[in-house]
Amino acid sequence: MHGRPRKPLKPVDEAAVAAKAEKLRALQSEFLSNHQNKIYSKEAVELSAKLLEINPELYTAWNYRKLAVQQNLAQCESDPESVNSILNEELKVVENALRQNFKSYGAWHHRKWVLEKGHSSMDKELGLLDKFQAMDARNFHAWNYRRFVAALMKRSDEDELEHTQNMIDKNLSNYSAWHNRSVLLSNLMKKAAPGFTNKDEVLTREYELVREALFTDEDDQSGWFYHLWLLDQTVRSEFPLLVSSWPVEGSDISLPAADYLDGCASMNVFHYSSRNFPLVLYFNQYVRGVNSSTVSVSCGFNLNADLIWRPLSSNDSQSAKVWATHLAIPDAELHSSEAYQVEVKVGFSLGIVSTTGVAYSHPSQISFQLHLQKAPLESGQDSRFGRIQWKDDCFAVYEPGSVEPDLVNLLDNLTIKNEVESTASTWQARIIDDETNIFRDLLDCKIGKLTVARLLTSYNSLRPLDKPVHCKEVLELYSELMKLDPSHYRYYKDNHSLVLLQQVTSSKESLLSRCFHYRDSTLSTNGGPLCLRLNNLAISQLGSFEKLLWVQMLDLSNNELQSIEGLEALQLLSQLCLSNNKFRSFTALESLRCLKSLKVLDISQNEIGSHSIDTTRYLFHSPLSHSVGSCDWNINYLSSKTYWEAFFVLKDMGLTQLDVAGNAITSQSFNVFLEKLLPTLKWLDGVEVN
Amino acid sequence: MAEQPLDLSATIAEQPLELESSPSASPPGEEENEGEESLGKLVADSSFEKGRHVMFLQMMYQILPHHYQSQEINRLTLAYFAISGLDIVGSLDTVDKDEVASWVLSFRTHPEDIAEINCGEFYGFNGSRSSQYPSDDAGVVSGNHSHLASTYCALAILKIVGYNLSNIDWRPLLMTMRNLQKPDGSFSPIHIGAETDLRFIYCAAAICFMLDDWSGMDRDKATEYILKCKAYDGGFGMTPGAESHGGGTYCAVASLQLMGSIGVDLFSSSASSSILDIPLLLEWCLQRQASDGGFQGRSNKPSDTCYAFWVGAVLKILGAGKLIDEKALRGFLLTCQSEYGGFSKFPDELPDLYHSYYGFIAFGLLEEPGLNSICVELGITDAAALRK
Repeated sequence: MHGRPRKPLKPVDEAAVAAKAEKLRALQSEFLSNHQNKIYSKEAVELSAKLLEINPELYTAWNYRKLAVQQNLAQCESDPESVNSILNEELKVVENALRQNFKSYGAWHHRKWVLEKGHSSMDKELGLLDKFQAMDARNFHAWNYRRFVAALMKRSDEDELEHTQNMIDKNLSNYSAWHNRSVLLSNLMKKAAPGFTNKDEVLTREYELVREALFTDEDDQSGWFYHLWLLDQTVRSEFPLLVSSWPVEGSDISLPAADYLDGCASMNVFHYSSRNFPLVLYFNQYVRGVNSSTVSVSCGFNLNADLIWRPLSSNDSQSAKVWATHLAIPDAELHSSEAYQVEVKVGFSLGIVSTTGVAYSHPSQISFQLHLQKAPLESGQDSRFGRIQWKDDCFAVYEPGSVEPDLVNLLDNLTIKNEVESTASTWQARIIDDETNIFRDLLDCKIGKLTVARLLTSYNSLRPLDKPVHCKEVLELYSELMKLDPSHYRYYKDNHSLVLLQQVTSSKESLLSRCFHYRDSTLSTNGGPLCLRLNNLAISQLGSFEKLLWVQMLDLSNNELQSIEGLEALQLLSQLCLSNNKFRSFTALESLRCLKSLKVLDISQNEIGSHSIDTTRYLFHSPLSHSVGSCDWNINYLSSKTYWEAFFVLKDMGLTQLDVAGNAITSQSFNVFLEKLLPTLKWLDGVEVN
Repeated sequence: MAEQPLDLSATIAEQPLELESSPSASPPGEEENEGEESLGKLVADSSFEKGRHVMFLQMMYQILPHHYQSQEINRLTLAYFAISGLDIVGSLDTVDKDEVASWVLSFRTHPEDIAEINCGEFYGFNGSRSSQYPSDDAGVVSGNHSHLASTYCALAILKIVGYNLSNIDWRPLLMTMRNLQKPDGSFSPIHIGAETDLRFIYCAAAICFMLDDWSGMDRDKATEYILKCKAYDGGFGMTPGAESHGGGTYCAVASLQLMGSIGVDLFSSSASSSILDIPLLLEWCLQRQASDGGFQGRSNKPSDTCYAFWVGAVLKILGAGKLIDEKALRGFLLTCQSEYGGFSKFPDELPDLYHSYYGFIAFGLLEEPGLNSICVELGITDAAALRK
């Protein structure tokens, strides 16, 4: 019924329709009786053919014919002539059925079934396909069948690639042909067939081919998707690599010997407990197999147990881009004030593998120093009772010199240098350069703008160590696209946000220009913790997390965020402001569950609770579902399921300060619920909790 | 008009139909001549005509025009469209729920004894009477042509009408469903054999999800097969190597979601998910929204009502529903809205039940006021999905 062109309506001849239905009904009941009684006589088999000619959808009849063929083949004892005639008859029935409806799944499948018996010839089948593909060059049944025949009869990928070329030459908009080309080309490159061993050459050839299509009709999507695929093939990093880490290579970190500096420590003194010192590894792609045997950690003090590495992702998957563990420094060490050299060796023994199965083969080593501070640095500043206020007048511009130089140095070295990358990227950079120059001629159309924006972004991704170039141009292109193509506004907006964040995080200077000292009346005027303020940027999407692993205090207020996924990489984060964004539910904040150091959270002035509840979440994370794991909470304690999402995200968090005002979900009972849920809470919406 | 094609077609719930002669009940497909003129002007200031759709669905529930003759074998599927459609537009109370449930259950097949469970057949639901042998004198139906799609539709209908699924021991169904799964992870819809593709993995996943029992399939194998169907442009074809297709992509992503192989809200992560290439998939889905506001199933094909759901639902599952140009989509769908109720495949054509259903559910996805919210992975309302 679906997808068949409706025939023009003629005046209905009721009598004829009734007669037709009567005939069908009679055929059908006779057929069912044959089927039930396993009658496979010539007449019975012919009757099923008649039925299928009228209605190829009747899969029961196709299945009956399969049984009949099996039975009849068994009887003719492989007399070649009879076998041929039986199978030829099946091919004929299929052809008749396809004439009635060439989108009949049952008919195509029946033909495959016959071919699998070794019947028919490649010429015959390709001839039939030519007929069908001439009628509809996009018929996906025909294309699927073509791939089946080519595989069954071992037609070479080269010959089939030639066929796609012919189809494309006939019609540049034949997306199906472009698609098939991508499949064949991938195969040929994968098995390194002669002429397909040099990726650079193969891709250059393909870029030329697709360029012709794009410049012929710039509004046609076929070529653009193919071009996008080529671009992806060009820049995709095959090897898993370590992109960044916390701590940064060469850093020098002072730790308080006790953990009472919660909340407000000066920037070079990390506030987390020394018993819980995070190590974070950020890879360029999803990897699995990060554990104590693939990553070795040596330090001046004894680690009394194997480190447990956790994938940082909100689902339960065993692969992630970001992995974290926590070093526990033994009590005995806390009384010394020595510096300890810590070395993290990643991938010196095999086992880290990308999701596509490529092994991590470029071992990295990160060394840093840990200083244990014997005495608290800023005595008397037990900040646990001071409330953090995210007001502009609480932030002072960063002054050079006021922060320990070691942090500033760190900001220069946020990206890990991978030699493989810089050597391998020459031909890619050349291709992208060439393509960019060519497509600048198409900047008057929206897809041209988008392509140039993508090419420029790809160029930067090839050179992670260099300062990104053309950011301004890319941002302008996306801004123009937002105006030109409002249907895809949000998509361009998100891309714009990502590029903007790349720009902001691209250098030490640029990062420091967004760093502020937090200070309020209770703190001394000197220094104060450093806050990265990415507020008021109109960003709708977060990114560049690999450059932000050092951040402890982050202000993302007054943006257009709907989700914070990825933020879980920021394991040091202890104060986070998300007010005045567009969060619609607590589920959008699920990443918070991985931020064990978080103490201060502001999610006020959002849209949490004002949209209809997304019940799909309940299907997966409901109190009745087992996916959350065992929970020792008394479910009755939840005043209603309404707060389940909040419970799921916030439970187990050691928040001392929370702001939720200005969301539809807030109410007296919600506050009561929060106070019970978060026993460590000292401040709720600016009010001290008893 | 409204010819009963076969003896079984009387109504979806098999009530004898005597309404054909009354003009008000004539199926919309028959009256193009009168309708043609007014279609154009209706579009300009139109909105979702809920009342007409309710009428259309009630009509479809009671009688099917003869155009559906070739779909006789998928009668349970047609019933699913009508009944779930009524649920979406909030008119389920016009359905006799007990009668529907017992009608659906009459298609259920049972193994005669435990030994039969291991004989390789699948014991689910037959698609219609025409794939069911006539019952013997004792009323026992023999023969088994159970089909996965029919089984999915049967269970969906049972959930919609609130039938208590725990009344029945589904273990034979689940155990024998395993017989349909091929070594490569794909599913054949029927035990004798037929084409295997993503549609039937989806049916199997939805069945296991609705019965809350995953013993019916090997999820790892199925996930493996789904990932093999990923095409170069980020979408999914129906089979490995096939061209990306809106329906295939829905089956892939919804199945992964139901099986728990992907998390919720994947899109929000700017990085690629562990098993899906989110940026490419997103790009592919978004580019399916054409300049007329509708969604197409494949590149360079005309927009078609049903892909508003197939592709829109994928975006929703990925957490990227906000990226749909809702206003434009609504505009396109309304050009396919028939003045007799229902939706057509393309603008200004006559409606059919299939496209009507996907029109309704697409409006549900767009959170049209007055429609019940949709559980996109299961293709039914949230209320039905949550019902135990």
